[in-house]
Amino acid sequence: MKKFKKVLAVFLSTVMAFSMSACNNSEKSAVKDNSVYRELYSKEVTSMNYLTESGVSSNKICANVVDCLVEYDQYGNIMPSLAESWEHNDDMTEWTFHIRKGVKWVDKNGSAVADVTANDWVSAAVYVNDARNDSDIQYMYNTGAIVRNAQQYYDYTAYLLKAEKLGVSEGKDAVDADGKIVKAVAPVKTEDIGVKAVDDYTLVYTLEQPCPFFLSVLSYTSYMPVYGPFLQEKGSSFGIDNDSILYNGAYILSSFEPQHEHVLAKNQSYWDKDNVLIEKIHEIYNVEGGNIAVRMYQNGEIDCAEISSDLIDSMMKDEATKNIIHRARLDSSFSYFFCFNFDPQFDGIYEPDNWKLAVNNENFRKSIMYGLDRVRALRVSDSYNPENMLNNTITPSDFAAAAGKDYTQYDALKAYTNGDSFDKDKALAARDAAKKELSDAGASFPVKILMPYNPSMTNWGKECQVIEQQLEGLLGNDYIDIIVEAGPETGFLSNVRMSGKYALLKCNWGADYADPQTWSEPFSKGRKYGFWEKSTDDNTAALYNKYTEMVLSAASIYNDDEKRYTAFAEAEAMLIDHAIAVPYSISGSDDYMICRLNPMEGEYAPYGVALWRYKYKKLYDTSMSMEEFQAAYKNWKKERDAVLANKK
Amino acid sequence: MMSIRNAKAAPLEKSLSQQLKSVTDLTAAYENIPENELFEQTDFDKCAAESISDAGYSYWKSTMRAFRKNKAAVLFLGIIVILLVFTFVQPFLPEQRNPKTINDDPVTGVQIINRAPDGEYWFGTNSIGQDLWARTWSGARTSLFIGCFVAAFEAVFGTIVGILWGYCRKLDWFFTEMYNIFDNIPQTLVLILFSYIMRPGVGTIIFALCLTGWLETARFIRNQIIIIRDREYNLASRCMGVSAYRIITKNILPYLVSVIALRMALAIPSAIGSEVFVTYIGIGLPTDIPSLGNLVSDGFALMSQPDMRYQLLFPTALLSIITISFYVIGNAFADAADPKNHV
Amino acid sequence: MAKYICKRILNSVFTLCIVIFIVFVLLRQMPVEGYFSNFDKMSDTAIEVSLQNMGLTEPVVIQFVHYIGQVLKGDMGVSNRYRRGYSIAAIIAKKAPVSIRIGLISLVISLTAGVILGILMARSSKTRWKLFDKFGTVFIVIAQAVPAAVYCLLIQLYGTKILGVSMLFNESRPSTWILPVISLSIGNIAYYAMWLRRYMVDESNKDYVRFARAKGVNESKIVYRHILRNAIVPLAQYIPQSILLTIAGSIYVENLYSVPGMGGLLIQVIKMQDNTMVQALVLIYASVSILGLLVGDLVMALLDPRIMFTKKEGARQ
Repeated sequence: MKKFKKVLAVFLSTVMAFSMSACNNSEKSAVKDNSVYRELYSKEVTSMNYLTESGVSSNKICANVVDCLVEYDQYGNIMPSLAESWEHNDDMTEWTFHIRKGVKWVDKNGSAVADVTANDWVSAAVYVNDARNDSDIQYMYNTGAIVRNAQQYYDYTAYLLKAEKLGVSEGKDAVDADGKIVKAVAPVKTEDIGVKAVDDYTLVYTLEQPCPFFLSVLSYTSYMPVYGPFLQEKGSSFGIDNDSILYNGAYILSSFEPQHEHVLAKNQSYWDKDNVLIEKIHEIYNVEGGNIAVRMYQNGEIDCAEISSDLIDSMMKDEATKNIIHRARLDSSFSYFFCFNFDPQFDGIYEPDNWKLAVNNENFRKSIMYGLDRVRALRVSDSYNPENMLNNTITPSDFAAAAGKDYTQYDALKAYTNGDSFDKDKALAARDAAKKELSDAGASFPVKILMPYNPSMTNWGKECQVIEQQLEGLLGNDYIDIIVEAGPETGFLSNVRMSGKYALLKCNWGADYADPQTWSEPFSKGRKYGFWEKSTDDNTAALYNKYTEMVLSAASIYNDDEKRYTAFAEAEAMLIDHAIAVPYSISGSDDYMICRLNPMEGEYAPYGVALWRYKYKKLYDTSMSMEEFQAAYKNWKKERDAVLANKK
Repeated sequence: MMSIRNAKAAPLEKSLSQQLKSVTDLTAAYENIPENELFEQTDFDKCAAESISDAGYSYWKSTMRAFRKNKAAVLFLGIIVILLVFTFVQPFLPEQRNPKTINDDPVTGVQIINRAPDGEYWFGTNSIGQDLWARTWSGARTSLFIGCFVAAFEAVFGTIVGILWGYCRKLDWFFTEMYNIFDNIPQTLVLILFSYIMRPGVGTIIFALCLTGWLETARFIRNQIIIIRDREYNLASRCMGVSAYRIITKNILPYLVSVIALRMALAIPSAIGSEVFVTYIGIGLPTDIPSLGNLVSDGFALMSQPDMRYQLLFPTALLSIITISFYVIGNAFADAADPKNHV
Repeated sequence: MAKYICKRILNSVFTLCIVIFIVFVLLRQMPVEGYFSNFDKMSDTAIEVSLQNMGLTEPVVIQFVHYIGQVLKGDMGVSNRYRRGYSIAAIIAKKAPVSIRIGLISLVISLTAGVILGILMARSSKTRWKLFDKFGTVFIVIAQAVPAAVYCLLIQLYGTKILGVSMLFNESRPSTWILPVISLSIGNIAYYAMWLRRYMVDESNKDYVRFARAKGVNESKIVYRHILRNAIVPLAQYIPQSILLTIAGSIYVENLYSVPGMGGLLIQVIKMQDNTMVQALVLIYASVSILGLLVGDLVMALLDPRIMFTKKEGARQ
């Protein structure tokens, strides 16, 4: 026993000494001022390699440390950034950029490494389109704006990889392990890719097709510049920490401790230093932010606390918080809509054949569309003001504008945008018509509607329960039977949406560039959304063919934005007219916050990385109240409309 | 006051002492009876001489008697029985809401969201307007089902493996390695994979919890057995050729009744606790199936606002009552199970 | 005994291989989608190429042989998804010490406090009012009954207010160590106290204890020399593993206080489908827990010489 005590004592003292030695170099916390912005983050960066990563957390940092050719003002206008000016040829296939002189690449200590030149964009394009580098965002060179030979180069390098693996010499077809034939791809040289540096400060992109919105593609991370020699030197370790990338943006990642903290310090050699108003950004890792962030804000430990929508009502009643909560600016980069599945692949117990009959009946689809009380369902995600999240068209409002008018206000869509699809009377009328037509066609009632959800998404399951009870309550249990089912947490997309194992599903799509064309993609062939191209019903097939035609002809208009937008609006209106999909909402689950930033300041673009940039943002003494926010938001919208009208 | 009391006590005392006197003088009553009427001759019975009187001692009866003496334990036993019965009876009581029904305000038609407990909604409503009273009981039903199933498996399988592992030296390596294998395959991985293959649900959770749940019990019992298997009396039994089965059931297990009882009592709450844990890490039951794990984790997200804590309070309280009851019962039973405490 | 240890270690190496292989195979059953954060928008070719680059297109057995070869060379590889391209050894080397430090401090505290509380409860259970026993039981019951996530959060919300310290852990400021360590210890204190009390109460009814008491041995000698020494044996088996497994950290505490340790790391990388990380962590945790079990057995045999793992001369199975 004595021995045991002694051992214990020695052990205890060693542990204490060990821990104390670690505690000696204590550091005083930062003084509270308006030059340092502190916030919590819950998802760690996987890599800083902005040319391959698509994760939001990675992009948030990269947006602040590397500049693109263009940037945005607070109304969404494209402004010069690293490109001082640009011009394009008549058919919009050749875009020439004049690169800003004197911009430096710096390392994490801020010492200059090299000049930023046109070659850096060429290096980026070669890197992204090389299959060896596994870029998640290579598709940006081949969607909407198609950079000449980019995809060809990718396919060629992909073929080389496979051929090498299978031990086949270049230029020959190979057969892989599954017996699939790997076709030989003709060699493409890096010089063939349509990105060229004419001289150090002149950059030319060559596109396959005319593209009026090419500038909006440029703020994606795969179009960010990279210093070639540095990239070569780092090889596969490019971007694994803050030592292995170079900076030319407003901030430098001066400290990078994963699962602990990120410190972004102002880049003292930044070309537009005067517009960087916050000196330092301190991000602290915490996954329980929802529970402790507000308290930390009140303690003065952080400057921004996101608030879950469940807590909003309670906090708006709480004296301590009610005057500092406000909303984020509405985010129109994602659109949610309900897809009907025209090619059901689910289990026999959910009666896929019966569903096929029902879904091809327009009145049936309309009864669901008119019957769905979206505001009620959205109250799950935003109990304070669910109407905010409504989206009445596939393309969200404030997304793109041409000829002084927001796209959603074009004639074809205007009626939808300013109304609400929920209409009890219309729903019941459609139901009665559908009932009659469907029973004639031999369908059985109630129609089983399999509606899966991903249990790993907050609130989705709850939302499904609300919708199930609301729709069944309105349309009757004898008409429809909605079956809410949890899908797998992992592999949800590939197991449910992409494999067609659903009847009705909330889907989403994120914009890739500033043009209504991007929102037509979910309804194009092979996208694996509603599978209407596979419908065996004549009416549906006719609708699909018509829509495809309308989109094609709209996309071919490049020299007249107004015409182009009108044509797209007509195509989109057709989707809603025939209830092929039911527009639902924009994104935003945790949109309320207590934050010392003004959400209306900073760059605005509902796509790409501009929204995450701290440039132009200022830290205020207190957080806005909801009234202040509403006023500021109204004002912002007014100013934006004025700016858009002026552009016309 | 005192005088009145004295006055009343005096006659009482008198009569008592008289009675006592007559009792002490009992022998006097028999003085005059002849000896042959007092005693009776019997023959010597060989068989009766061989039999041993057991004074009517029964181990389990005595254990139960000792257990009943513990008032707190009996109280908690009552609580748990009532709770169990109520959990299953609740849906059939009049005026109960369906745990899944979303309740609307009759005037505005808007969902009643996050209503604090009142006369109508005894436990309040949740973030989409479902009745928490109904959900709490429905959740308890689900969780108790999971808990009982997993605990039963754990008790039976864990004990058997534990005994074999602890007692049979030859099998020691086999069970040690089996334990090591099962202990080191991450439960999260199994759970994710199974909910991917079989869809998330009660069955998946039960399967995943059973897969790893028995490990601790097995190891626990194995350790206990290793400690006593080579004690002298077991050695002696073995030398006398007593079968292993008899040694285990008659020598070893009775010795371990108390610790095993405590362990088993905690098995149900700990299985429910595991369910809460897997929900916390985001791979529990889907949200449309109420369970204590789901309710606790929903409530946990709202904990920072004091006026919303009721959503956490009720499921947690129920969980705590279940745990406390089982703990107290288990401990009292373990105390009572020791024969030395029976006298 | 030495022979027994050698045999156990040899067996363990074999077991380790089986564990890794099973985990390896299980990981390869995960859906392809989980390897990509942009699955929806990537082309089929891009996904195929990416899988090939990650080495996932080869037969599992070949992948496994490659992996074992790599591990034998002492290389755990680089992370695939958690921190793309970063050395796993470096990630763990940075995180493990933090968890071990907090874990060890908490373990020492909880063992000390748990053993003291257990002894006090056991002793007081023989007294008339059972005061300590009752208080201890209330503590144990509360610690067991309230979910750890809940009491950890309550401790954080109110503890920081009372102590006036920062909400988050900061290695260089000792005051921020207090609450995480307390939160981490509570459950263990209750666990040790509960079981020690049980074993001591059982032990104190044994004949030899009664005999010693009848002989007039003083009470504290009985408790510490006889009862405690016997009662601690079954607990001791768990201590080596507890010490070694401090490396795994605690998910609740580390999540709440932003401790940059290992807590929940395995769960996180499994959910992210970072195969190489999962394999490395399983390898480490499995080695540690297998070793812990072995050392635990040895400690048990050391504390109680009557326990034998090897066959004794003449003993029959």
